[in-house]
Amino acid sequence: MTTQDRKFDQQAVALSRRRFLGLLGKGMVCAGTLVSANSAIGSAEVRGGKRAYQQNDAQYTESLNNPPEIPDYNWNDHQWAMGVDTDRCIGCLRCMEACKMENSVQMDAFHHRTWVERYVYLEGSNTAIVDSQADPKNIENTGSETKFRFDNRYRNVKVDKAFFVPKLCNQCEHPSCVQVCPTGATFKVKDGPVLIDTTYCIGCQYCVQACPYGARSFNEVRGVAEKCNWCYHRITKGLNPACVEVCPTGTRIFGDRNDPESPISLFIKNNHVQVLKPEMGNAPNVFYKGTDKEVV
Amino acid sequence: MPKHIVRLLALIVVVAIFAFSAKKFLTPDTFYQYGHYRGDAVAEIASKAPKLQGSASCEPCHKKAYAEWTDGIHRKATRKNAIQGVVYKYGPNCEVCHTGPAGNHPSKDAMPLSVEDQVTSITHPEIKVHPANVPGRKLMLTPEEMKGVCLNCHEKMEARPKEQRQIEVASHSGEELCTKCHNPHSPRIIYASLPQSRRGSAQAGKIVAAVCSGCHGAAGMSVNPSWPNLAGQHADFLVDSLKAFKSGVRKNDMMSSIAAGLNEADIRNVAAYFSRFSCGVTGGDKAEAALGKAKAANCAACHSAGGLYGSGAPGVSGIPTWPNLAGQNAEYLASTLRSYQDGSRTHPVMTSVAKTLSDSDIDHLSAYYASMKCK
Repeated sequence: MTTQDRKFDQQAVALSRRRFLGLLGKGMVCAGTLVSANSAIGSAEVRGGKRAYQQNDAQYTESLNNPPEIPDYNWNDHQWAMGVDTDRCIGCLRCMEACKMENSVQMDAFHHRTWVERYVYLEGSNTAIVDSQADPKNIENTGSETKFRFDNRYRNVKVDKAFFVPKLCNQCEHPSCVQVCPTGATFKVKDGPVLIDTTYCIGCQYCVQACPYGARSFNEVRGVAEKCNWCYHRITKGLNPACVEVCPTGTRIFGDRNDPESPISLFIKNNHVQVLKPEMGNAPNVFYKGTDKEVV
Repeated sequence: MPKHIVRLLALIVVVAIFAFSAKKFLTPDTFYQYGHYRGDAVAEIASKAPKLQGSASCEPCHKKAYAEWTDGIHRKATRKNAIQGVVYKYGPNCEVCHTGPAGNHPSKDAMPLSVEDQVTSITHPEIKVHPANVPGRKLMLTPEEMKGVCLNCHEKMEARPKEQRQIEVASHSGEELCTKCHNPHSPRIIYASLPQSRRGSAQAGKIVAAVCSGCHGAAGMSVNPSWPNLAGQHADFLVDSLKAFKSGVRKNDMMSSIAAGLNEADIRNVAAYFSRFSCGVTGGDKAEAALGKAKAANCAACHSAGGLYGSGAPGVSGIPTWPNLAGQNAEYLASTLRSYQDGSRTHPVMTSVAKTLSDSDIDHLSAYYASMKCK
């Protein structure tokens, strides 16, 4: 054995026990500090409540002191939310049509900012059959892609349970779509909605894939992503979103959570509500009442 | 330092300066204002003009329709006003059925025919947005399409909550259009008053009626109990019946040939003539009538003065296109029900109803309605 070999051997032994344990201990302390610091930042964001997603201190202060110039409106005074009472939905799809009119969404069954799904449990079945207005049979039934209507295919079969569920963008507290947007074209504003700046959208569709709720679609004509923004141009003028305005049964409830007497505050307070896919950690702002285990 | 390294460094510096200044120049001032986005975009998005205008915007011009809607069942505060503390607005507003935004108004595409004629002269200069500029998109142009609009919400369907009023189209109305019985602005109100143009003149009808009086009596009371009394019958029902004979939908040796000789105006006039007379009770076996009363609950939904939902004088139909039964000849009523049973006469509702009746049911019901007062 040469001198060099012996030296190497000694080093290896020294590393293998005492030094290794020491390093392990230091490493764990460092990692623990990092994790706790990180969660401290996260919880501060939640506790602050008002801070928009991914906003730093300076930007937060700016949004308080110098809000966007919208006539008779200050985004610091509002925290919008929506409720969906699926027990009341009749599946008439007028919300979808009104949304398309209001926001000039493409007039076919496949591009939509809000839509309605039908869940049907046949007799003795534990799994739901789901269809929406885009189902080929429903399109065939109306004879046109520009008329939205559910067909009556379950008329002659025995059904255990069935219901409609309106869907739309959940305007999450931690929106996946905003996280992946490379250009800052989509962002969460301080009063709740996630908006799209179409002049900055490059049409890469990362956001369409990132959304766990399938709430985004791609407008091939304009080359930009599209999504529900709770009719931001209406709610900032004191109006309800178009879908809420036309819903004939009061299925959709909209309002300001800062106001304890608003319809949405009462809805959340007086009903057992849930959000879709809570395990995704997106913290949605659309609250459902009466949905079933299969609704995601 | 070697020359080529210096050149390389210089190039990197130049590119870096260019890149930084380009970013500085191209990034809008407001880009990082509130976050990683253009701050101006928020106000831009908020500045879009709303298109749906709400029902209140219809009121100034369409006062009658608006009043019908506000007082009717299509505009309720809520069932019981509040559900678990939340007060819901309830019922479709104008823009739900009239194909959306008032911003698209007045447009022929957005209005049912009858209304369109009244509104073409009105313009709303302040609203210029055309929200539904989709080629070929036309809703509610014809009454047939209007039926589709009603069925969007009212077709009986699994998954619809039970509280929602729903109909089986085939047994509820068949091929009839919704608007024949319902006022879409408030579907509970029944179209009792048809446009004047559809009303005949009783005066003119008197001449035509000379032909009829041989069988149906000069005052509409038939000389033979197997023929129907016409006195006091709804004029609209008489018109529909004569037209059915004329077109061959209904067949009767005598009536088919007589109706074939009548023109549109004659039919209206003669119907108006007989509907003016007051009817008389023809009587019926009392014991049978008592039995028939129990069975008649099924008929009352249509053949009672209260119309579809209310109670009222039995045998007097609330809807002018459906016949009054009260005071009609028992024999004629019975033969009519039997003709529905054997298929010699058909009607989307009556055919299926008649098939549920037994022979004795028919006799009892006929006796019951024959004994009812017809006014």
